[in-house]
Amino acid sequence: MHTDARTLENGTVIQGDLCIVGAGAAGISIAREWTNSPLSVVLLEGGGFDLEPEMQDLYRGDIVGQPYYPLQAARLHYFGGTTGHWAGWCATYDPIDFETRSWVPHSGWPIRREELDPFYARAQKILDLGPYEYDAEYWVKRDKELEPLPLDPNTVWTKMWQFSPPTRFGTKYRNAIVNARNIHLYTHANVCEVEANEGLSAVDGLRVRTFDAKEYRVKARCYVLACSTIQNARLLLASNRKATTGLGNAHDLVGRYFMEHLEMPSGELVLAKPQSTKTKMYMLDFGVTKARGELALSAQAQKEHGILNGTASLEPGTLGEQVQSTFQFLPPQTLKAMMAWEKGGRVGPPPLIASSPSAAIAVLQAPPAAPRNFHLITRQEQAPNPNSRVTLSTEKDPLGMPRVRLDWQLTELDKRSIRTYYKVLGQEMGRSGVGRVQLRDWLLSDDRTWPSFLSGGWHHMGTTRMHADSRQGVVDANCRVHGLGNLYIAGAAVYPTAGSANPTLTLVALSLRLSDYLRTKLR
Amino acid sequence: MTLDRRRFLQLTAGGMVASLAGSACTRGTGEDAQALAQPALLEMLGPERTREIGTRYRGAVPRENTAARLRAAISSSQDQRFPWIWRRSIEEQIRDDFAAGRTVVVGGWVLSETEARQCALYSLSV
Repeated sequence: MHTDARTLENGTVIQGDLCIVGAGAAGISIAREWTNSPLSVVLLEGGGFDLEPEMQDLYRGDIVGQPYYPLQAARLHYFGGTTGHWAGWCATYDPIDFETRSWVPHSGWPIRREELDPFYARAQKILDLGPYEYDAEYWVKRDKELEPLPLDPNTVWTKMWQFSPPTRFGTKYRNAIVNARNIHLYTHANVCEVEANEGLSAVDGLRVRTFDAKEYRVKARCYVLACSTIQNARLLLASNRKATTGLGNAHDLVGRYFMEHLEMPSGELVLAKPQSTKTKMYMLDFGVTKARGELALSAQAQKEHGILNGTASLEPGTLGEQVQSTFQFLPPQTLKAMMAWEKGGRVGPPPLIASSPSAAIAVLQAPPAAPRNFHLITRQEQAPNPNSRVTLSTEKDPLGMPRVRLDWQLTELDKRSIRTYYKVLGQEMGRSGVGRVQLRDWLLSDDRTWPSFLSGGWHHMGTTRMHADSRQGVVDANCRVHGLGNLYIAGAAVYPTAGSANPTLTLVALSLRLSDYLRTKLR
Repeated sequence: MTLDRRRFLQLTAGGMVASLAGSACTRGTGEDAQALAQPALLEMLGPERTREIGTRYRGAVPRENTAARLRAAISSSQDQRFPWIWRRSIEEQIRDDFAAGRTVVVGGWVLSETEARQCALYSLSV
């Protein structure tokens, strides 16, 4: 069922067993699991089925700290959420991402990677991905042209990615949600407050507002906030009528540990033998490639060097860099000799051939298509940092909600990790004879400053992190807000660490896990 | 004439040592010195980058700022355990440098110490 909340009468009370706030990847993944259940599900979406500027503007906020993308552009506020413009890149988190690492402060999840495996397999289908196979070997067996670079996997391994079409949840799952008899979708229903009971031990209801100043209440047995990392924190912080610092914020953790993936061009790779080095495994033909690899540092190497998890992707150099005449590679003496040979009427064998036949023949016989130069693009987790945070602004939006203020902060470990990664990669490339690596200038300076092109992957994580201890996390291992019996968080907001992979596959897997858990709670 | 077993082993071992030592002695000839100044990086990076790397290296390590010192540094980083019977090729030496972490970052390039010195030699030769 679907109702546009703007058509409801002021003061309406909506009731259900489970209320999900937000119809993006997390909210829809949960809701569709309840189709045909005897329980009733209320799915609240702030936007409609199409993008509306005034809805997007509700996400606008202040940026302080490191420069960041405009928040109203970073998330889509309509049915389907940000899947409306995501690129579809998916990879699993690595086992080390879940571990407590002594060299990464605040690391460690209360769950292990193996616990997520069955949910990853289910998430693959929702995201229209291939088989749940992320071993390079699996893909190599299916395509003879795929070949991992001959690097020592104890140092650098090939981490596989799969590509969703990309699935637009708003399009693909709209009918299933709207036609489900037990799911009631309300669009244009913006939640402005989560109301707790007097003892602050459970949620009593939600207050919903529309632009025409109508207000409704939603009452359910369980509530799931699935309205994005920043908006989840905003809603909890703004729900401060009874809990003055915001709901679930007894230990001043809500909004903290905001994380991104650092995605920046960081180095260059020059192959030693471009003609005989296969690189197809690392190439992406958008819309065609089903899986490809990135170069990841092993868990062992991360530990040895005390750095964060990260990968590098390979992008062939631009045309200008690829097109170099053979003569540009010649030593000056040989070039001089070649010019003299030309001037002298080409008598005898060319000096190029005479001086080094095998190298010369290799150069002359090289097919022009094989790229030699690659840009190396970093994709690295950001270290969990309590000072990287979302707070409330003094400005309010048209619905009366305080806007957000994002203070994105990085640490010395973030930059040192990138630099060390490229040094280790360079050593391994040299040892294996694959090629040579150059670090870009910005990595050669100190570990505190960042270049003007500092950028994230548009991935928002943290702010309501998961931890078994309520003094160190906002939600527990089941994504329940500590201290509140019936309030849960879905999405990347619960990630204690960011991993090196894009967050969507993991957030869908976690949402399915939460859904299964709620099924046992609401039986 | 017959050889007893002991004499046979002595001659065989002596021949092997002479042969290995002979090939090892070729390093250090003028031809070899010239080859040292032609790093394999030339083919990968081209002469301009190679020269730039060499110049930067000499600037960063002034105590090696002559051809003789650079050659001596390359030679001294050979495996010293069995110098009279075994000398590695430059390619092997470079690979071993990388494996052992004997690397330097010059102009952002992660290079083996040996090849960085080769670049420096090259920059002196052009």
